[in-house]
Amino acid sequence: MLKIESLSKTFDKGKSYALKDVSFDLKVGDVCAIVGESGSGKTTLVRLIAGLERPEHGVIYLDGNEIASMDKFVQPEKRKIGLVFQEYALFPHLTIFDNILYGVSKLKNKKERVQEMLDLVGLSEMGKRYPHQLSGGQQQRVALARALAPKPSLLILDEPFSNLDSMLRTQLRNEVFDIIKKTGVTVLFVTHDTQDALSVADEILILQNGRVVQKDVAENLYINPNTLYVASLFGNTVQINKNIQSAFHCPLNEECCHAIRNEKIKVNPEDDGSDCEYITKAKVLKKIALGDSIQLLLKLDSGEQITVLTQDKNIADTITIGFNSKDILEFNE
Amino acid sequence: MKKILIGVFALGLLSACGGANDENTQKQDTQKEQVVNVYTHRHYEPDQQIFKMFEEQTGIKVKVINASADELIQKMKMEGKQSPADVLITVDAGRLGRAKEQGLLQSIESEILEKTIPAYLQDGDNQWFSLTKRARIIAYALDRVKPEELSTYEDLVSEKWKGKILIRSSSNIYNQSLMASIIANDGEEASMDWAKGIVANMARTPKGSDRDQVKAVVAGEGDIAIVNSYYIGKMLNSPDAEEVEAAKKIGLFFPNQEGRGTHINVSGAGVAKYAPNKENAIRFIEFLISEEAQKIFTNANYEYPVLESVEPVQDIKAWGDFKEDDLELTKLGENNKKAVLIFDEAGWK
Amino acid sequence: MKQAGSNNKTFSLKSRLKRLKRDSNRWSVFTLAIVLFLALPIIFIGVELFSGPGETWSHIVKYLLPDYIWNSLYLVFFCSIIVLLLGVSSAWFVSRFDFPFRKQMEWLLILPLAIPSYIVGYAYAGMFDYGGSLELMLRAMNMDFVRIDIMNRAGLAFVLSISLFPYVYVSARAFFLNQANNLLEASKMLGVGERKTFFKLMLPLARPAIVAGLVLVLMEVLNDYGAAKYYGVNTFTTGIFRSWFSLEEPETAVYLSALLVVIIFALILFEKWQVRKIKFTTSKASSTQIQRRNPKKSLKALIFSIVFLPILLGFILPVGQLIYWATLTASTVFDMNFILISLQSFGIAITSALITVFFALLLIYFSKWSSLRFIKNIARIGVLGYAIPGAVIAIGIMIPTLALDKWLIEVLANFGIDSGLIINGTLIALFYAYAVRFLAVAYNPIDSTTLKIDDSIPDSSKVLGVGNFKTFFKIEFPLIKTGVFSAVILVFIDVMKELPLTLILKPYHIETLAVKAYEYASDEMVMEASIPSLFIIFTAMIPVIFLNKLLIKK
Repeated sequence: MLKIESLSKTFDKGKSYALKDVSFDLKVGDVCAIVGESGSGKTTLVRLIAGLERPEHGVIYLDGNEIASMDKFVQPEKRKIGLVFQEYALFPHLTIFDNILYGVSKLKNKKERVQEMLDLVGLSEMGKRYPHQLSGGQQQRVALARALAPKPSLLILDEPFSNLDSMLRTQLRNEVFDIIKKTGVTVLFVTHDTQDALSVADEILILQNGRVVQKDVAENLYINPNTLYVASLFGNTVQINKNIQSAFHCPLNEECCHAIRNEKIKVNPEDDGSDCEYITKAKVLKKIALGDSIQLLLKLDSGEQITVLTQDKNIADTITIGFNSKDILEFNE
Repeated sequence: MKKILIGVFALGLLSACGGANDENTQKQDTQKEQVVNVYTHRHYEPDQQIFKMFEEQTGIKVKVINASADELIQKMKMEGKQSPADVLITVDAGRLGRAKEQGLLQSIESEILEKTIPAYLQDGDNQWFSLTKRARIIAYALDRVKPEELSTYEDLVSEKWKGKILIRSSSNIYNQSLMASIIANDGEEASMDWAKGIVANMARTPKGSDRDQVKAVVAGEGDIAIVNSYYIGKMLNSPDAEEVEAAKKIGLFFPNQEGRGTHINVSGAGVAKYAPNKENAIRFIEFLISEEAQKIFTNANYEYPVLESVEPVQDIKAWGDFKEDDLELTKLGENNKKAVLIFDEAGWK
Repeated sequence: MKQAGSNNKTFSLKSRLKRLKRDSNRWSVFTLAIVLFLALPIIFIGVELFSGPGETWSHIVKYLLPDYIWNSLYLVFFCSIIVLLLGVSSAWFVSRFDFPFRKQMEWLLILPLAIPSYIVGYAYAGMFDYGGSLELMLRAMNMDFVRIDIMNRAGLAFVLSISLFPYVYVSARAFFLNQANNLLEASKMLGVGERKTFFKLMLPLARPAIVAGLVLVLMEVLNDYGAAKYYGVNTFTTGIFRSWFSLEEPETAVYLSALLVVIIFALILFEKWQVRKIKFTTSKASSTQIQRRNPKKSLKALIFSIVFLPILLGFILPVGQLIYWATLTASTVFDMNFILISLQSFGIAITSALITVFFALLLIYFSKWSSLRFIKNIARIGVLGYAIPGAVIAIGIMIPTLALDKWLIEVLANFGIDSGLIINGTLIALFYAYAVRFLAVAYNPIDSTTLKIDDSIPDSSKVLGVGNFKTFFKIEFPLIKTGVFSAVILVFIDVMKELPLTLILKPYHIETLAVKAYEYASDEMVMEASIPSLFIIFTAMIPVIFLNKLLIKK
């Protein structure tokens, strides 16, 4: 229901691009996360979709209609897209009830709709309060209710959980997406946190320097990352450079870049009988206890330092580590 | 509190609108109510009395608009045919001449005006008429200067007056007219020398009003000052005791009595060329020449009346009669610009 | 059809024009129209320049122009020094220290703004005159009166400075109150003492704010007519009046105006250059409020005196002198007519304030709603009117309105309608002129209030389906109310005080208090000028105190 074709945006007449040739599709009901670091262009992308910025290139289709192109631009107020800002942007001088009422004032049964929304987000009795009287989490839910009230076809969330501490984060994330899934609305949400993306999204779109690096379901991103960057998003990776190749006696194709996930590096493989194709010795520099497992900081003969996890309680000063070729990730960088 | 504020605002708004309405109805007023629109440079309180008397006697409402003559002339020029002005009153003959020259006044027929005002005090074409006279005299410190030492304006450039003369800025119209009369009487070259000579003899850079010059004389900053006669009268009768004291300490001297006479200037009036209420305008000016009005001019403002039958008020009568320079007053206007340029070149600030 | 990628063609002229077409909306056009409307007087002056100056121009250049330039430079230089000393010191002390009556002095320091500078000039001239208050006082103490002549350049600089320093005071104080604390604390943690912190850290960082206030002061100094005339100092503005009225050469007046505008723009560029080096944005979340120190008794007394001095010089002494004169002249001046004039002044000021604020809102919001970025920059041109002296604006407005009027009259005459002058010489021209002159005064407080509202708020409204106008009325206006109110008050005060522009443009049957005071003073009735002056001061004082309460609330 959302189709983006070759969308580009620059703020300095082309000297640098905030977004370059971004293309992707969304189907009805999809929940898609846009993941990227700050400056990757994710906020620009959602602002373009919402109509708060104008593109220098490309086309945006919503439900088959062209809403932005080189000669057409539909105003944000006509796009029927819901947007929840990072700062919530609740109207400070209106009550919670009036905030939610704001977008549906032309509806016949507007008051019922507002109460319905309040119930949906679990704030049924809070209608008469003002935004400043609510906690961060509650304000977020109000912002959500306000955006959902007009029953938009697309809902965009911009860094919805960035303002919250980590405990609240997980809880709220689950609650919010439970609510959203109940409504069946198509969702696009922006985050720099891969965990958020992994827990709720059907598909993840990775944005780096304004360009789409990869868009796929979580599994595929994990198994077949296009680049080292994508791979590193889902777990620590070690780039298998020349030194490591020689240390492990693992010669690899020079044309490509290779890496292995730290968790795929086995400690003392001979001990539990599993064999590794490539092994080497490593000195233990540091041991950090992490609850159930132990994190080891190792130093190879070649000087490289690697971090690995192990359940093994008996760690000597020097250990063997190894990995298998099936776990090697290859990229065409 | 809010309600009070809103109320005051509304009141203010209404007044402003009321003011605005005035403007547009001025031209239509003639149908309903008799008015005369007077553009006057005179800011003296006694004038209000005179206007009231006129209103009571004739039923014609006097709408007064105050501004400097320069501004009034400029505006009338730009307003052209649409100007609502009926009468223009200035405090200087030069300005009247300029108004005539700019085609802003009109010739009128009035026996009263023609007969009562001496010929040299009115325009040959009946475009303007003097209402009061004032002389530009020398005020001298009684304890330092003897009247025998004084003679003419021209004499003031001599060595003996070095550092002793107090006179106001060249930007003032009274000085400009004095200068204009000197140009007319002595010629441009001599006038330039005179101006430079005065500047060389000034006690200080010109500043302040005529009254300030008198106060400075009394304080000892200089010995003589060149000022308008009626200011002395006003100071002698001022509510400020200091001013009265100061005025008592100076003497009044009429220059050039042996020669052409003391420079006089006039306050005068003319009927505007496109006056919407011409008849009322003529009646108004005639009233200003009447005994009642002339009496107020002299008694309350210490000016010399133009109407010969009215005696000047006691204070100024005490100064005695004097010979007036009977130079055509139009010359004052004609030479005004030259006067200003000479002042600038001579460095008379 | 699949889109090709973006490339160099994306920025070709053709593509840019296409996007310009897509993005232009009526708001862009309206904004441009308003800016043009406001810039018209200046444009006309610029155009008039081409007809050349009058015949006395070379005379003026030879004998008078050097005077104008030297005097203006003198005033700029000395006023800057005095104003900086008074304004910055009082702002710092009032922000940083606790001393008796500190709270009252905070707003007392703003009060000199309620007194027009020419009135301060009249008051001081009277005080130092023969027979003036100073002489009477010294005589009463059996001391000799040594006349200090104040009616000269130095006196003028003094008088202008003490009446205008509050501009610097307010800017500096805003900075010290809101931005300084973080810097102070950081500096302290690094072991740097207070005095060093002030000179090496605080002052340089406060520079943009201080310079902004200073430029306002200097623009007012160059705009002044009443005081310069009274004190006999030839400045550009007195020269402009002289050419316009005495020499009857509007062309020369226009030339002088143009020169003056050039000088002022140089000043503004200077300010921008100064500020450029210290490019840091203030975060939207203001830093914590500054903490006050409690100094020992002797220091408290000293600080009190330093802060009290400008209040004494800029408000207490002049007002005292005026009140004394008022008692002498009340019976002659105070009558029905006077009440009428006061109400008129009042009405004109409030109407102008509302009109000007209206234009400012239009300018700010239309440029926001326009999606073309350069429009927002162009909108700022609208505020330049503040840099143009009132006399110049008046002249710039008279020329086109007269022409328009003459044309309108002809057109209407064809229909047999005999109308008077429609625009020129009416309140409309006056309101127009005030709007041009004081737009900046309305624009700045409203604009800075809008900056405090995060963009996401109006954006949310749009996304929720509400258009520009409704968003403004339902969301933005309620949130900027204090800014709008401040703007109305500030323009109101400025119009009440305004003199040169009013003198030239006012309809002849309209009197304002400012003009009345000036006329009395020009007619050597300066004592009588006290009553209209006091009226102006008291009407201006109330909003000033109001405003201060508003600012403190932040």
